[in-house]
Amino acid sequence: MSAAVTVRLFEGPLAASSTAEAPPGAGAVWVFEGRVRPEEDGRSLTALRYEAYPPMTTRQLEALAEEVRLAHGVFALHVEHSTARVPVGEVSFRLTVHSAHRKAGLAAADAFIDRMKRDVALWKTPLFAGEAEAARGG
Amino acid sequence: MDAATPETKRVEVLLFGPQAELAGVRSVGIDIAAGRTTCAEALSLVAERCAALRPSIASSRLAVDHAFADGCAVLRGDEELALIGMVGGG
Repeated sequence: MSAAVTVRLFEGPLAASSTAEAPPGAGAVWVFEGRVRPEEDGRSLTALRYEAYPPMTTRQLEALAEEVRLAHGVFALHVEHSTARVPVGEVSFRLTVHSAHRKAGLAAADAFIDRMKRDVALWKTPLFAGEAEAARGG
Repeated sequence: MDAATPETKRVEVLLFGPQAELAGVRSVGIDIAAGRTTCAEALSLVAERCAALRPSIASSRLAVDHAFADGCAVLRGDEELALIGMVGGG
């Protein structure tokens, strides 16, 4: 796997900002952060519980990031994703894309996120306000 | 055992996320014919065993030893099986 692709899973919310270094020549850096919204289907949430299936999840994310990197001609994709419980307002997903120019980076980010949501072994379960949370971990 | 008769094996199919919530369990046991049952047939067996999973089976795939498998791939009965459906990262 290329060093231009990194995937990291973290238990709980992600830290405040990306630590990925921009490679030389990267004129554009896209950072997308997904945060847990306060409601889903009109119901108040307390958190989302994310679940992965290691090592399949990491392998899929690495392969997808490399595929998108090559397809869109960008320098690097760095993926950070939470597992377990992430409270409302906290960051659960961060994608950092380094590219020479903005359009390629934006297209790469869009393609990666679409595919991740459709194909990758990652799940989220809403934890609604007022409901007891299941004891099992994510 | 007759050599032509495949051995029946009970295998567990792991469940995750909303599908585990719907089923109320973390795995579903199915009986397969080792060396004969395909992944597509295994998915049908999961649906037969657990009514709560039937609506989402058509959009689910079977992972065999942590990789997606073709529907026509035949199971030995000693693999790790997981139902990958209703995914939603991000």
